[in-house]
Amino acid sequence: MQAVISAIEYDLPEGMLTNDMLGAEFPEWSVEKIEEKIGIGVRRIAAKDECASDMGIRAAEKHFASGACNREDIDYLLFCTQSPDYFLPTTACIMQDRLGLSKSCGALDFNLGCSGYIYGLGLAKGLIETGQARHLLLITAETYSKHIHPGDKSVRTLFGDAAAATLIQSSDDAEMKIGPFVYGTDGSGGKNLIVPTGGFRTPRSDESAQVVDDEQGNLRSQDNLYMNGSEIFTFTLRTIPKSVKELLSLSGKSLEDIDLFVFHQANKFMLEHLRKKLNVPEDKFYMSFKNYGNTVSSTIPIALKDAQSEGKLKSGDLVMLVGFGVGYSWGATLLHWV
Amino acid sequence: MKKSEFYRELEEVLEADSGSISGDEVLADFDAWDSLAVLTFIAMVDEKFEVTLTASKLALVKTVTDLVALLGDKITV
Repeated sequence: MQAVISAIEYDLPEGMLTNDMLGAEFPEWSVEKIEEKIGIGVRRIAAKDECASDMGIRAAEKHFASGACNREDIDYLLFCTQSPDYFLPTTACIMQDRLGLSKSCGALDFNLGCSGYIYGLGLAKGLIETGQARHLLLITAETYSKHIHPGDKSVRTLFGDAAAATLIQSSDDAEMKIGPFVYGTDGSGGKNLIVPTGGFRTPRSDESAQVVDDEQGNLRSQDNLYMNGSEIFTFTLRTIPKSVKELLSLSGKSLEDIDLFVFHQANKFMLEHLRKKLNVPEDKFYMSFKNYGNTVSSTIPIALKDAQSEGKLKSGDLVMLVGFGVGYSWGATLLHWV
Repeated sequence: MKKSEFYRELEEVLEADSGSISGDEVLADFDAWDSLAVLTFIAMVDEKFEVTLTASKLALVKTVTDLVALLGDKITV
């Protein structure tokens, strides 16, 4: 028994943040230069009353509408988010009800960011191949825009909101379709991509809501998302090439055996540098952040769906997925696309 | 890499005129030395020297001379 990705759908909120809009708000900034560097044209932004779960539900509904599966067949829901509806109950439980899934369906949230899709595939594979689930929905959804201070151009430029729903089912195929996996964690980097308050370690207060100007002219409070870009970049340089090599050696494959590389779509600058460092030819290195920005755990499924729609991902292709970011947390795996 | 070659690479990162850097410059005096330029510098060093800088050390750097010191014997006279 093998776990297989049978379909991917995604959903984007209607709100848009374009480079022209950012340029109007931050006139001291060269919009052209930023666009050239990071390659992002538009970020999609959730409405005030629109949660990650709402987008996730819309993405999942597309599977039922397309006939990819019946809602009553879904027997497990994995929901990856760092933007839950509540502290409790579990957002996945609320989604089970809203999606009209069976009451014999398992459902859980897991909190990961840019590595979340890889971990979700790992969990899904475990659940399916041990016979605990047969038709599983892995939903990734994020509204980082709600964590970001409007005056923080450093992160507003990069992140966009989105959700993706990946349908993973059991197949009688003998050949492995997802895996092997390489995982990694280094919690010492947690402070470099963080919303410092709002949990129990540091509850929100009038003091934590004080907005301060960092030395680069970005405004934020302790209640907002903070990212140390150079720490994140150097973490990526230290970690990702090593993980790619580990995955290749674990699977007995060489770089040339891989038909398509789909990395976490952080931005053009980071991906282009990683691509060159790894010596991956441009035509095998998929990029799809231009119209979305960095959508955290949904970048990889969105890229897979887009690559498939554009004919760049075909049945039989061997695909390498690599996710990395907040935690620090990272993971990599191979897909035999069916 | 020779120090003079390093200066030319740095001029590109800082969008400065060719030949304008000679070592004593204070990085904060360059308008272009922003968070994006720091990333570009890290990427350049990774590519040309195969060295991944420590971001926390780089954050303490004030002058061009400090950048040279960061790379130690990777830069020759």
